[in-house]
Amino acid sequence: MEMNMVDNDVIVAEGIVKTYDDSGVPVHAVRGVDYTLEKGEFTAITGPSGSGKTTFLNVLAGLDTPTEGKVWLSGKLISEMSGKELSNFRRDHIGFVFQAYNLFPVLTVEENVEYVMLLQGIPPAERHDRVMDILEKVGIAEYVGRLPRKLSGGQQQRVAVARAVVSHPSLVIADEPTANLDSKTSGALLDMMRKLNEETGMTFLFSTHDEIVMQRAKKIVVLRDGKIDENASPKE
Amino acid sequence: MFGRLVKFAWRSTWRNGRRTVITGLAVGLGLGSMIFYEALMQGMGAYMIQTTTNPWMGDAQIHRNGFMDTRRIDLTVERPDSVLFMLRQDSTVSACTPRILSPASATSTTEMKPVTLIGVDSETDPALTMLEAAIDTGSYLSGDSTELIIGYKLADDLNAVPGDVIVITVARADSGLSSSMFFVSGICRFGSDDLDRYSAFVNLNTAGGMLGIPGDVHEIAVRFPESKTGADTTIAFWSEFSIFGNSALGWPELAPQVSAMLNMVDLGMAVTAIILFALVVFGIVNSLFMSVYERMYEFGVMKALGTRPGTIGTMVVLEAFWIAVISTVIGSAIGLLTVWITSKTGINFGEFDVSGVVFDKPLYPILKLSRVWIYPLFTLILTTAAGIYPGIHAGRLNPAEAMRKSL
Repeated sequence: MEMNMVDNDVIVAEGIVKTYDDSGVPVHAVRGVDYTLEKGEFTAITGPSGSGKTTFLNVLAGLDTPTEGKVWLSGKLISEMSGKELSNFRRDHIGFVFQAYNLFPVLTVEENVEYVMLLQGIPPAERHDRVMDILEKVGIAEYVGRLPRKLSGGQQQRVAVARAVVSHPSLVIADEPTANLDSKTSGALLDMMRKLNEETGMTFLFSTHDEIVMQRAKKIVVLRDGKIDENASPKE
Repeated sequence: MFGRLVKFAWRSTWRNGRRTVITGLAVGLGLGSMIFYEALMQGMGAYMIQTTTNPWMGDAQIHRNGFMDTRRIDLTVERPDSVLFMLRQDSTVSACTPRILSPASATSTTEMKPVTLIGVDSETDPALTMLEAAIDTGSYLSGDSTELIIGYKLADDLNAVPGDVIVITVARADSGLSSSMFFVSGICRFGSDDLDRYSAFVNLNTAGGMLGIPGDVHEIAVRFPESKTGADTTIAFWSEFSIFGNSALGWPELAPQVSAMLNMVDLGMAVTAIILFALVVFGIVNSLFMSVYERMYEFGVMKALGTRPGTIGTMVVLEAFWIAVISTVIGSAIGLLTVWITSKTGINFGEFDVSGVVFDKPLYPILKLSRVWIYPLFTLILTTAAGIYPGIHAGRLNPAEAMRKSL
C-alpha cells in the first residue's frame, strides 16, 4: 500500500498504539500517536521515563510492530514489507545510535564502523576510506584499531555515531544517545551530529530527556503517557 | 563476509574464555576417553585373538567336513599330504602342522583323568604353537614313541612328575580300545585350562598308530603372517582349501565365543559413543544458549542494523565450530597422549577370564588410526551441529524485544 506522502516525509505514522502483554497485564506504551518526520529534521522526542519514547522510536524504525496503526517508511507501509525487505531497508536507510553505545565488543573501532557497509557488500577499499573519513570527522581516527573496551564512554559513542552515519542513511535514530555521557561530552557529540545534519541533510530523530539535546534540537516533540502532548512542545 | 564471520566468531568464542576452556575440556575429556577406550578395546581384542590363536589353535584350521560337529575319529582330513603340500606352497601361509585328536583317559599309578589325546608333529609344531616354549619341566617331543607331555594341572591331578609312567587309553577308529604306556617327558604351562588340565601330547605317528589311522590326521593348523587374515573372509584361502571334502575355518569360527565377545565390544563402543556424543551435544547447546541469552541486546542491535537472521545463525554455528575445534584438539591430545603412555607401560588389571581367555598379562592399548579418526570427526561435526538450534533462535530474535528484555 502506497501513501500520498509529501516528498519531504521520511516517516509517517498514523494512530500508533503499542501495548505489551508480556506478563498477562497489558501495558499501554503508546496510545494512538499520529506523527510525520520530514527530511532534514533534527528532532528530539522527549518526555518522562516510561512515556513511551523508546517504544515509539522502535515502531517508527520498523524494529517493533505496532499493536494498532500504520507506519510508512519512505512511502512504504512497514506491515507490507517482508522481514528481508525491512531488514534491508534498515540496513540501507536507517542508522542507529543506542543509549549504551552498543558497539560489538569483539570488533575493533574500524570493524564496528564498517559493519553495516560489510552487510551492504561494499568493497574493502571503499569501506576503509569511508571509515577513515568518518572517524576523522568525529575525531577518533587515532583509535581505529582499538577494541571498544579501551575507549572512554564519549569515544565509544562517537564510534556509534560514526557507525550510524557512515553508510549515508537518510535517517539516524538515536535513543538517549547522551544518557551515559557527561555534559561536556554530550554537548560535543550533539554539535558533531548537528554539523552532520547541516552538511549532509541527514535526518536525525532522538529520544531524550537531556537538556543539552533539547537545546540543540530544531524541533521537540513531547510524549506523555504514550501520547504526544501538543501543549507542551517547547520548541518548534 | 563469511571470512569476517569466521574471524568474529573466533573472537566471540574467547569473550568468555573460562567458559570456552571449561566446555572444551569437558568435551575434550569425553573425546579423549573415547579414544583411550577404543585403543584399550583394540588392545584387549588383539590380546584375546593372540591368546586364542598363538598358543595352540593357529589362525585357521582344516578339517574333514563334519569333524568339528561330531569329533568322530574316522573323520580324518582327506588327502592330507596334498593339502599339506599345497599349504607349504601357498605364499599367504607362514606355517602349518598336522594333528590327531581323540578323547582318551590318562591313568597314573594313583589317578585316572579324562583328556584329549593330541598327536603332534614335533618337526612342524614349534613354528606354529607355543607347546615347546610352554615346557615348564622336562623336555619337548623328540620323536620317541613313549614320550608324553602333560599340562601342570593334569600333572597335579595325576600326581605325576617327569619320568613317571602314564597309561593312555583311546577308542580306536575300528571300535576297539587301545592302551599305551608313556613316560612323562615334559610338563607344560599354557595358562589355559583346556591345555593345562585336559590335554596330553604325544608324537603324531604314535597317536595315529594307537587310533588305527596311521598316516591320517584330524586337523591341520595354519598360521598366517598376521592373525587378522584368519578373520578376513574375502581371501581366496578359504575356497582354495575347502576341497576334497575338507573345510577351512578361520579363528572366528573356531572360537566363536571370542568372536562374539569382540562383536560385543564393538557394540559397547558404539553405545558408549552415542551416549557420550548425545551428552556433548546437549552440553554445547546449553553453553551456546547461555552465550546467546547473555548477548541478546547485541543480537538485537545486529538485527536493528540490518543483519539477516541467517548471518546471525551462521555466526553462532561458527562459534560452535570453534568450540568444536578447541575441544577436538584438547580431546585428541588427551586421548593420544594417554594411549601413547599406556601403550609403553601396559595396564595391569590382575588376572581375570573373559570368554575362556585368561588375562594375566598387562594390556597394551593399540591405536588404530583407521578407527580412531571417527571420534574427532564426530566431535567436530556434532559440536558444530549443536550450534544450529541456538543459531536459529538467535537469528529469529525480534530486535526490539531482544533489546527490551535484556535491559
